[in-house]
Amino acid sequence: MNQLVGVFRGPWAIAVYTYREGIRKRTLIGFLILSLLVIFGSSFISAFLDPTSRTDIELKLIKDICVATISIFGALITVFTSASVVPNEVENKVIYSILSKPIRRWQYLLGKFLGAQLIILVNLALMGILFFAALYIRQGVMPTLLLWALLLTYFEFLILSAFTFAISTAATSPVLPTIGGLFVYITGNLTEYLKDVQNRAGQTGKWLDDLLGQIAGILYDVLPNLQNFSLRNQIVNGMPNDPPTDVLIPNLMAYGLIWAVGGFLLAWLIFWRKEL
Amino acid sequence: MNRRYSRLILAAAFVIAAALGAWQGHRVARLREAEAFYRWMLAAAVDERLFQDTSSEYLDRPLLETCNRLAAGTPQAAGLEDAATTAVITTLARDLKNDRAIWALAQGDTLRPAREEFLKSAREGKLQFARNIGYIEAQEGNVGIFSLFFGFRKVAANWLWIQVDRYWHRGDLYRMVALMKTCVLLDPNFIEAYQIGAWHMAYNATAKMADTPWALREWDERYQACVGEKERYYYFAIDFLKDGIRKNPRNYKLYFDLGFAVYKQKMNDYANAVKYLAEAVRLPHDRWVPRQLYICMELNDQYEEAIRGWEDYQKRFPESELTKEIAPRFIRSNQGKLLEKLWEAALKQAEAARNTPEYPALKAEADRLYQQALEHWKAMGEDGDVRRMRLEALKLREEKRWFEAVALLDKARWDAPDQWEEFSSLIIQIKQEGGIPLSLSERKAIERKKDEGHCAGMPESAARKST
Repeated sequence: MNQLVGVFRGPWAIAVYTYREGIRKRTLIGFLILSLLVIFGSSFISAFLDPTSRTDIELKLIKDICVATISIFGALITVFTSASVVPNEVENKVIYSILSKPIRRWQYLLGKFLGAQLIILVNLALMGILFFAALYIRQGVMPTLLLWALLLTYFEFLILSAFTFAISTAATSPVLPTIGGLFVYITGNLTEYLKDVQNRAGQTGKWLDDLLGQIAGILYDVLPNLQNFSLRNQIVNGMPNDPPTDVLIPNLMAYGLIWAVGGFLLAWLIFWRKEL
Repeated sequence: MNRRYSRLILAAAFVIAAALGAWQGHRVARLREAEAFYRWMLAAAVDERLFQDTSSEYLDRPLLETCNRLAAGTPQAAGLEDAATTAVITTLARDLKNDRAIWALAQGDTLRPAREEFLKSAREGKLQFARNIGYIEAQEGNVGIFSLFFGFRKVAANWLWIQVDRYWHRGDLYRMVALMKTCVLLDPNFIEAYQIGAWHMAYNATAKMADTPWALREWDERYQACVGEKERYYYFAIDFLKDGIRKNPRNYKLYFDLGFAVYKQKMNDYANAVKYLAEAVRLPHDRWVPRQLYICMELNDQYEEAIRGWEDYQKRFPESELTKEIAPRFIRSNQGKLLEKLWEAALKQAEAARNTPEYPALKAEADRLYQQALEHWKAMGEDGDVRRMRLEALKLREEKRWFEAVALLDKARWDAPDQWEEFSSLIIQIKQEGGIPLSLSERKAIERKKDEGHCAGMPESAARKST
């Protein structure tokens, strides 16, 4: 047991140090402040509406704007954090002094990955708390369904983070992984199009058409589909105790976790023999 | 050597993780298909049970029939009555508590052929109620609205709604209606858009319009009704709310607005008001929903059901001020009207048997019920005055004391403006029976009534029904 604790002590120290360093970054603070402003500002959205009609419409506007804000800014924070934690250290040459210590590469990677997750979680929690407060003030009851929506959002970010992190291990500067991360986010949300390509293939009867359809089908089955996590919109505005939602949430969490492990293993594989 | 193997093991671990991810993704996709199927079943069952829209060429109805047939032998059908076992899904969907049973069927193997048929038909756009289910839309292809806003379509719907609000203040009604429909296309769960949109159509758009005279109305094949410009907006509101109900079958607000705001308040169609308010009561609802249902039951002459409803309300909310003050009044009022109804039926029966040996006994029973009703209204004091006067006027009419009957009803209608129409019609009838000359307004009212229920283009069958 002590040996196991010893193995993870190093990564944890790196994670804490990564978190402390990352949380001070101006870009992230900028994104966070912007998102908090939008979430705060969503409470005043009713200024655009007819003050005489007393409905729940303001509440819905707040919910939708906040969920979208958390998704957009959260994804940006995730990409920028995951893309920079390793390349920055390569650029600054700090990595050499760390790897010269009795720590293995996978431990270093795990520490960095956990540190990035801490940063993402703290940012998500800050945005979530403000969203939670905005809803609580407006409707007077605890919006507990929101916690599930935030949890799903995090698992979406976990996949995004893992693959951006994997790209970053191959890079020496954060620019390429940032672009790569944004690409992962966009394509991950458009995976459903592949199914459409597969459904439409074969209409011309040409072999290339069939082949394209088959490739699209395989890619659809293999690539992570971030659009699955759009369930969070359903949760925030939906009814409690919805049977399909209750089953889908744990399955999506497992989905996020498996792909995150996959992404981390890919990062490890790339970093294994990287020339430093 | 060791390092090379380690790398291979790591690569294998990555491949395993990716395969597991793909497998889990496949599971999630199957669950989402089942979810889409489940939501479609709820929508199709609601349509089948409440709206029975047979006009469309979509395949929803035959597919629901297939689902009902396949579900007949399942454990979920076991608890149902014999008559319901041929329509398992439709029957189960009546009650919110059965949602888990329907979900189990949607996921299970019994309905697999129907589920596969559903997915195929939905992808080909052959199902009306599969639209606006996110997963299906995404599968349907083209430039799907699902992906158009990159997952932020709800925000887009909100911004459009703000524009709808602006159009409303500008009086730009026609633009507003089109935009409202776009809003709910983008966000089919936008309950408030359905509610406010229907309110705009049924109330605000028609606020400055007079009721279209029957002679100017036209037969509308789709609505099976005589409609003018104003009435058409009521039906637009009904369509809009029905669309919302199909997409959100578990939200009581839409049923309530359809029953109360449109059918009761605007169209005085109490039978439909009761139908939809009864649906609203089945779902988690606010306290005013059952109260409106019982009021509509009273207006629809369902006095016994209304009494039972109010008594149930008293039991459920014993501490409520409404229970203490208003519910007893409504119960007494319904009891009085029930006695009136029984008296009228008994009187009719006695009149039918006028020249038979049973007549004296039937007449005595009718008189007894009359006395009972009269005593009931008297016991209610001021609250029962108007109905007591009506009852006394009817007795005077029976005794052919026409002037006294008219005078009494005239006083009663001024005391109860909400019953003005009913009492005025009764006055006209009594005047006609007694040969008393009618006033100008009464003659006009008769002229208006002649056209009532008939319009240009009305098919003969509908005209006969209306007469």
